[in-house]
Amino acid sequence: MATFIALFAGALAYAAVLTLAAVGFLLLYKATGVVNFAHGDLLTLGGFLAWWAIDDLGWPVVPGSLLAIVLLAVVGIVLERVAYAPLRKRPQMTVIVATLAAALVIRASIGIWQGSEPRRLPGPLGDGAWHVAGAAIAWQRVLIICVTAVVVGVLVYVFRCTSFGRQVRALAADPDAAQLCGVRIRRVSMTAWALSGALAALAGILVAPLTVLDLNFGFAIMLGGMAAAVAGGFGNLGGAVLGCLGVGLIQQLLGGYVLRDYAGALPYVALFLVIALRPQGIFKTHAARL
Amino acid sequence: MTDTHNPAAPPDGATERTGVPGLDAASGRLDDLRARLGASPRGTVKPPVYGRHQYLGVLAFVAVTAVAAPNLITSAEGTNLLDLWLLYSLAGIGFYWIFGLGGRFAFCQTTMMAVGAYASAYTIERGQPFWLSALCGAAAAGAVAAVVGLALARAQHFAFAIGTLAVSQIGMVVFSRTSEFTGVNGQVTGLPYASLFGHTFDSDRGAFWLFLGVLGLALLLGVFLERSPVGREAVAARDGEMVARTAGIPVRRVHLMLYVLGSVAGGLSGALLANWQGFVGVDQFGLDLGIGIFLMVILGGAGSIWGPVLGAGFYVWAPKLLSDFKEYQGVVYGALLLVMIMVAPEGLIGLAGRARALLRRVGKGGAHG
Repeated sequence: MATFIALFAGALAYAAVLTLAAVGFLLLYKATGVVNFAHGDLLTLGGFLAWWAIDDLGWPVVPGSLLAIVLLAVVGIVLERVAYAPLRKRPQMTVIVATLAAALVIRASIGIWQGSEPRRLPGPLGDGAWHVAGAAIAWQRVLIICVTAVVVGVLVYVFRCTSFGRQVRALAADPDAAQLCGVRIRRVSMTAWALSGALAALAGILVAPLTVLDLNFGFAIMLGGMAAAVAGGFGNLGGAVLGCLGVGLIQQLLGGYVLRDYAGALPYVALFLVIALRPQGIFKTHAARL
Repeated sequence: MTDTHNPAAPPDGATERTGVPGLDAASGRLDDLRARLGASPRGTVKPPVYGRHQYLGVLAFVAVTAVAAPNLITSAEGTNLLDLWLLYSLAGIGFYWIFGLGGRFAFCQTTMMAVGAYASAYTIERGQPFWLSALCGAAAAGAVAAVVGLALARAQHFAFAIGTLAVSQIGMVVFSRTSEFTGVNGQVTGLPYASLFGHTFDSDRGAFWLFLGVLGLALLLGVFLERSPVGREAVAARDGEMVARTAGIPVRRVHLMLYVLGSVAGGLSGALLANWQGFVGVDQFGLDLGIGIFLMVILGGAGSIWGPVLGAGFYVWAPKLLSDFKEYQGVVYGALLLVMIMVAPEGLIGLAGRARALLRRVGKGGAHG
């Protein structure tokens, strides 16, 4: 029972991390139609910036993390200006390649700046654990789950009830019509990139204390998040959250009990099956348009 | 992802008059000659099937490489890179068939290379001759691709990309964890040298001829494919899937065929790589090479079969040229990719075509002014 609780908490926390990563690039996808392959490296960058603020500048954990989040929002805007704005009218494949290029640049820059040795980022709640029925659940996991719940709640509110959310939804439905109605594409796009960057930093900072921070750290999480988002029907926020939950449970529970060696591959097997059997995702109806 | 863009190759055969009088007279006579022979006048855009010179282009490329490369490049390191260039070109051409011609973004080309390498190593360790093991490697990659391609047949662009990404992730875990087929931790060592018809390719220089021959065959097949109905159907399916389907083109079958064919090229490349280097490791076929193959095709040009060859050359030799900035290599690659995609989305090959068009325009302007 204790093992089950520990694994279940691990699965929930992992799902929460994937959700944080997924909402970051889904927000961007909704607002601009771009699938940002640099998102994973933004996660890594967020972790390293927090490490720098805490370790090199000597800031306390929380302000250091906030500094990293703010800096990543700025990085998001820079990315928008450099890698997205000049290509907005180009075909989507071009923009995707540009984000991959940006990912390469970010990753290589982190390598030059910090080297490739793995780091360990301290969490805001320390290394303590919460003991439930004999199982130890790290405070950090509890924190991740809570923060993710709050972030998703806020995002849903923003999407439903604010002007920005309405503009994003309009852009997602029909960019041309939205522009004709006076949606300022440039402003929305910059805001979305900034928010997406901040969310990436948040995800990176939250998950880094549980694992080691190295150059490939964010990329794996982004892949998991993308897998979950595709399985849930790409662009569908609720579907993505459920998809993340599914990926987390499959990897931690199934991988923890049955197929230990192959735990890393399990979510991808599930993803492959979903795409093979229902290419449009589990929760999305799909219509082809010319 | 709703639309995929693939810059088409620049239209061929449209020659403009130059400003030089003698040349104009000559080209006028040439026009007369063409008219008398019943050929179409110059300047008309001809469908690629008429460009029979493409076969000659491949032969010329093989001949020039065979003559020039061994004479120009004599150092051991250079010969090694030369072989690597030929093998990466082969894998790149495979990716070009899937992505450039088929318009399907497959993330798993390196996985197919790994499948080819492991399958070839497996058969050769059981005493099979080299040619059979290389064929086994290619066939194994093709078989895996057929299963994956059939399973993902209905997946649209982005879903297909992510599905193949999943395949590559599964592949990495499986290769490093199963020890029966792929060796402990995915390491197979001590493979013998390749040998064909009693001749052993036991040096980099010897392997060069083998690889050049294989690449030449792949290029010929590529030209044949582009001139065949399948090539035209693939372009139609890539540029307007719904329209192509309405016109009766079996889009899924074309996609599947190109995917399997491209993967076979990847598998063959992996098998040759394994026999040449004598070992197979998981890390060899990791994310770095995956991004590398992608770089080759995009930088070289996704609109022409020569793009991957050019791009592979760049990818192989750039680290040597940039050895002073070794730590900045990743930044340089990324920045270069970014600049290329903004300035010349059709790649280095496209730049060459554009330069030709510019020269032509300059000549034309000179005639009027």
